[in-house]
Amino acid sequence: MPPRVQTGRVSNTLLPYLTSTSSTTSSLPSSSSQCLRQFSATTASQTKLRRQMFEWLSTAGAGLKNHVPGETNYLSRLKQGGPDDSNRPFPNNPNFVSESILSEDLREEIYKRVVTKKQSLRAVSVELGIDMKRIAAVVRLVELEKRQRSQGKPLALPYARAVHEMVPVTPLADRGERQTYHESINDLPAHPLTGSQIFYPVPESRSFNRVEAGRVFSGAPAMTNEEAAEIQHPYDLAQKVIEDPKSIGWIGKGEKARQILQPADARIPHPHMIGLERDRLAHPNERLTVQRRHSDRLARQEALEQEARQRAQEHREASQKTVSPADSRFDYRIQDTKFTKETTGANGRAPWAVGRRYGVPHEDRTRGTVKIPTRVDA
Amino acid sequence: MRNRASNTLSKGKIRQSWSKYNLYNMSRFRSPATMNRTFFQQKWSAKAVSRAYHGEQVREGQWKRMFSRRIKSVIPMNTVDLAADDGSLVSAGRGSGLTKEEKSRYPTRQTPYTNMTFAPLERRLDVAIFRAMFASSARQARQFVIHGAVTVNGQKMRHPSYLLNPGDLFQVEPDRVMFATGTPKNKFERRESRLAQKPAEEAEAETEKAEAEEPEELKSPKETLKALMARAKSVMSNDKDTLPAKRKQELRGFQKAVRRVLSRSGSESSNILTQSLEVQFSHLTELLKAKRETKSPKQDKKQDNKAAKPETDDSLAFEADEPAASDKLSAAFEQVTLGKDVDVSELSNEEFDTLKRALTQMRDNPIDNTKPYATPWQPRDYMSAFAFIPRYLEVNQNICAAVYLRHPVARPGSAEVPTPFGESIATPAYGWYLRRRW
Repeated sequence: MPPRVQTGRVSNTLLPYLTSTSSTTSSLPSSSSQCLRQFSATTASQTKLRRQMFEWLSTAGAGLKNHVPGETNYLSRLKQGGPDDSNRPFPNNPNFVSESILSEDLREEIYKRVVTKKQSLRAVSVELGIDMKRIAAVVRLVELEKRQRSQGKPLALPYARAVHEMVPVTPLADRGERQTYHESINDLPAHPLTGSQIFYPVPESRSFNRVEAGRVFSGAPAMTNEEAAEIQHPYDLAQKVIEDPKSIGWIGKGEKARQILQPADARIPHPHMIGLERDRLAHPNERLTVQRRHSDRLARQEALEQEARQRAQEHREASQKTVSPADSRFDYRIQDTKFTKETTGANGRAPWAVGRRYGVPHEDRTRGTVKIPTRVDA
Repeated sequence: MRNRASNTLSKGKIRQSWSKYNLYNMSRFRSPATMNRTFFQQKWSAKAVSRAYHGEQVREGQWKRMFSRRIKSVIPMNTVDLAADDGSLVSAGRGSGLTKEEKSRYPTRQTPYTNMTFAPLERRLDVAIFRAMFASSARQARQFVIHGAVTVNGQKMRHPSYLLNPGDLFQVEPDRVMFATGTPKNKFERRESRLAQKPAEEAEAETEKAEAEEPEELKSPKETLKALMARAKSVMSNDKDTLPAKRKQELRGFQKAVRRVLSRSGSESSNILTQSLEVQFSHLTELLKAKRETKSPKQDKKQDNKAAKPETDDSLAFEADEPAASDKLSAAFEQVTLGKDVDVSELSNEEFDTLKRALTQMRDNPIDNTKPYATPWQPRDYMSAFAFIPRYLEVNQNICAAVYLRHPVARPGSAEVPTPFGESIATPAYGWYLRRRW
């Protein structure tokens, strides 16, 4: 009986494990190519591919194994080698860029400004060039980190250091230097209504600006001359919306009702920056006045937002009663039911109505409904 | 669910994984041919290729329900431009010969909408964990969720298909993350950890014998130092050609420092490192502060002398000293590891910094056989080739937590959904999932 020749194949299956432990990569593939005796007529195609892979990993791909601190080490480096490609992880996709993350110092600085110095998110966002949502998230995460440190919970410090070495990082500027902006803070979300192409004839005698374009897109009638005369620049409308968010008009009835599309000036996160630029254009030589007006405007907007937040909180507290018994694991949040046709249906037994109804299975018992939670309250 | 997401070389599919097989597949990937193929065939192969990467753990029907043909995009606005005109300039004078042929001030870049085809999948918890670099593959992320190592907003979440909402904070156990992203143990380290576990088990069985010397001997710092040095040596000998020169230098310095400590602390009674590292560290930092205050005027001279000294950032390099300058430093290192007070007056500021950094790293990244990954922790091979964090996540690596800020968006010139495929695959794949075929 001839000897069973399986040794070559066995060593092949072991290869990835042997090579992954940072031991020799170059010597092992050669041994796999030395399995000389083939008894089967069909040769294993795997072997060749594997050999090619390990060849590649030991030659062209060798540089990808370890990183150099402070530099990216992506595959596209091998393909072109141009300086422009250093931040593109996928060589076939030029449209994806590995963007920088916040450095530890910058994170600490954000936390210091928001929590210790009590600056508003809006002000910090404009100063450091970071999105407001990101600033809120950073504050939340740093707070969580501080709590975990004080509780002595395990941290992944070497991992964090390694990641910050591999990924591009936005550093905190030195004292006296200008902070490099992390991202664009005035992103305008593209509204679905603006996707359509509309042919809209306008008399040449009329100026057709962003405000009117928004009305055309949302199908609202053109403004009267008096209304149009009030708005010198779309920023005036933005200011009006900031003062009173309910001043935006509505189009359509019932479920199809939607707000009139506002100009970009009202929909970007920092409309007050337009006011600043307009002041600069109007009064190029009065820097102090411009600064004062800007800070006033900022303070006004923050005060209004604070007021709105407070009102919403009060409304929530008024409409909901929370009962937390001393010996219970649960809090009970009790709300009054609105018993209308919309909320409970014509006969009060609509499937979407609250409460248990005889003959109507509870929602989590019905077939086909997804039981996976759709949100987790913080 | 059976894992069909193997990284076979024959198929050459690209997966959401950091494996070197995947890296090789990515390097040799070619877009499917379009010549002499029907439009249907082109769309089919584009869809097949991109679905192998995007949510292969999601059933096709499930994904079809998630697909949305509306693609979120943003346009970064310039407030100077917005302030300068109200938009009427763009609409005025068309057709009356008033327009001049003017180049726009900013280069208009196209928005790669179809690269966002699989944006709804990025909301999934398992994919988000992979994108935040907390797991080495989407499958591993999924396993972390199922095994209960992930919380969302502080509550344990066991559904990998949970769709994150903007503002959700998710957190993975740091140990799992270190395991997923760290170098795996080799067989000697695995044996070491088995041996370390053994006495503990025996101790449970027989309480009388628990006071035997074995565990102490095994954990003795001298042993760990020796093991460390052996590791440094093996790394040096094996990866001679791949390691960058700077790192080689650091490793060599580290080896030297350890050898010195080993040779000098001859007695068996040395109780270094293990117990009082924390105390040592705080003590040393206090000393350092005191020294800073006294020596601050002389600092400039010192720095001139030691300007040539290399910076060390590596996790392995506990001690990277140049042999000429740092006999004192290694002596101090030895003193500290022996648990004695250090004579600080002889050390320069920079030597102090090096000492402090070495101790910090020793404290943060200790040798611990009980961990499931090789210690001290090092990033796994080829991790850097996959290392990026998309902007729709804000990640804190220290606590392994991240916030899902918003849904991914496209903007002129870039799309936020990380995908290895270009326009030529993304567009036909998007076309495949439109209900009205084109």
